[in-house]
Amino acid sequence: MSEPDAVLATPFRQRAERALHDDFLQQALTIATTKFIDLRRQAFREFPEGDALRDRARAIKEATLQRLDRYVDQLVDNVERLGGHVHFAASADEARDIVVEIGRRAGARMAVKSKSMATEEMHLNAALAAAGITPVETDLGEYIIQLAGERPSHIIAPAIHKTKGQVAELFERELGRAVPADPEALTRVARAELRDKFLQADMGITGANFAVADTGTIVLVTNEGNGRMVTSLPRLHVAVMGVEKVIPSMTDLMVFLAILAKSATGQKLSSYTTLVRGPRGAGESEGPQEFHLVLLDNGRVRQIAGPLREALSCLRCGACLNVCPVYRQIGGHAYGYTYPGPIGILLTAMLNGPASVKDLAHASSLCGACADACPVRIDIPRMLVELRTEVDEQRIAPWSERVVFKTFAALLGRPALFRLAAPVSRVLQRPFADGRRIRRLPFFFGRWTATRDLPAVAPRTFSERWIELEDGR
Amino acid sequence: MSTRAEFMGRLRAELAKTSGLFPAAVSERPAAPAALADTIRRELSERWPATLERFRSEFERVGGVLYRVPAHADVAAVVARIARERDARRLISWHPALLGFDVAPSLRAANIDVTAMPRSADAEDDPRLRDVVAAADLGLTGVDLAVAETGTLVLVSGGGRPRSTSLLPAYHVAVFDRSVLVESLAQVGVFLEAWHGDGHPPADGGAINFITGPSRTADIELTLTRGVHGPREVHAIFVEAAPGG
Repeated sequence: MSEPDAVLATPFRQRAERALHDDFLQQALTIATTKFIDLRRQAFREFPEGDALRDRARAIKEATLQRLDRYVDQLVDNVERLGGHVHFAASADEARDIVVEIGRRAGARMAVKSKSMATEEMHLNAALAAAGITPVETDLGEYIIQLAGERPSHIIAPAIHKTKGQVAELFERELGRAVPADPEALTRVARAELRDKFLQADMGITGANFAVADTGTIVLVTNEGNGRMVTSLPRLHVAVMGVEKVIPSMTDLMVFLAILAKSATGQKLSSYTTLVRGPRGAGESEGPQEFHLVLLDNGRVRQIAGPLREALSCLRCGACLNVCPVYRQIGGHAYGYTYPGPIGILLTAMLNGPASVKDLAHASSLCGACADACPVRIDIPRMLVELRTEVDEQRIAPWSERVVFKTFAALLGRPALFRLAAPVSRVLQRPFADGRRIRRLPFFFGRWTATRDLPAVAPRTFSERWIELEDGR
Repeated sequence: MSTRAEFMGRLRAELAKTSGLFPAAVSERPAAPAALADTIRRELSERWPATLERFRSEFERVGGVLYRVPAHADVAAVVARIARERDARRLISWHPALLGFDVAPSLRAANIDVTAMPRSADAEDDPRLRDVVAAADLGLTGVDLAVAETGTLVLVSGGGRPRSTSLLPAYHVAVFDRSVLVESLAQVGVFLEAWHGDGHPPADGGAINFITGPSRTADIELTLTRGVHGPREVHAIFVEAAPGG
């Protein structure tokens, strides 16, 4: 999979630094993530059974993975029995070709899309446009960033980095309409622009939050109603879904629905939960005449027995982004890939290999807030640590970093040396220490102190005091 | 392109390498969901006023407006009032036979243009119908389940009950009675199991929609805005008379 080179050409450190100095972004991030955190806390406070349901959800995901072949087979059989078509894509490239070919064969000219991270992951829009099919993002946030030529910066709130003033300027420039910088007015403009597109489009493209194996049902969770439009009005519906999204039954589905929206936006349920099965039914005057499901591997399957297996349980709710002290500072774009935040680092490694996260694996304080917020209790910090180890073992990390950590490990493994390290460090730090803080360091160590302070080695360390205490007894 | 055999082969090869992270089981499903759904309905019919009150409080919390009327004959007057207050002149509705009542005569008398959706799919290629639906201000539907825990209306699509009636118009008005009230999402799960299993679904269309309040977005500065693509208002009219009575 290729990411836009322009973004990744800049090293992560510079991308993060730019974000830290972007006042607009800092303000937008603080407002949005704080609000999301409050809404989520409030929702679970009113829902005492939430903790038990999160355990259930985690167990269902794991049990499903253990028999994934059986549930995928069942899903495929049921979708085909209903008159739908199922396609299998090993890679993002394959998936892209499949979707474009479906559209081309049906003679589609315009595709309306509801928000889908899977189609972001495969950079579908450019391929559709190249094939003469105009892609139209219809989720308001996605519509804004499509007009701006940008990429989502949050899994569920893709335009979180934009202020209303910036959106108003964008609409004026791209739509030629002067609109006040007011969310209500801006939303009305988008409604009018997109209503016509829904009615004209001949192709609808969606992702899927879940697929129920037992019934062949695709489940879409949205707030705006665009997911309903896209699955009701065009004559062709294509759903693209990571293969790990399958769940066994409707009984299982209700467990996930009870916690998904609460984790994402603090709602008990999102405004719309849409369950669609195949093409329109026999007596229906609406709904697609043709239904296609594209099952996507793209690095997922090899993780079934791999170190990132737990990340296959992710519901894409975004809760871990909002609570992450790193995401809250740098926002989604600095990560550089489709999926930002703590879970995004793991998904990036899954999709693009561990080398792609040699810097990102360190973009975490390992504080554990992500694991606490995760509705299915994915142990994200554990996998981040393992990724760091892997990055180190494969010698992907720069030599300077390896030397620092090797030295540190050698010190920790030898008590005599470690005791010696404190007085030596006290001498070495003298030119740089400013009271109890070190605000700048020479050589490559300076990269650390450029945006952070380091605590100075104390006049007397804990172990030195301990020895004194023991001697004095 | 990968074939199903290739794709599943890779999947099975990976599964064979691991026994998983921890022992886990999927949800236990009701053995006879249709019978269980009947039991739930019977038990709830005795305490529907409490369920309705919980529904009201959750429905209002998500921005819905609830009305209570004694009988089906009183529905048209409420619909007419909602339409008049919003200057809504064009109404589309589910087929009257599916609603169990016909509001058209009294609404036409109130100068509201009413189009009922045809029951058969013959109308599918009628572009005029699509235009009528797209231009409608108000959509009138029934309800297949009303969920108290979340204030949710569940609607199954089918002939005479298209997906768009509750979606394209700016105002959605849904009519229901005690027979569709349930308490929890877990109970909805039982009904979904029954509809896809040993019971009968309310209709045989391809879409089931859970509607929890009006269409909304918070994509610009997390400011809540209603009616982005779907209805900006959702109204529910509860008919007190016992169904079939």
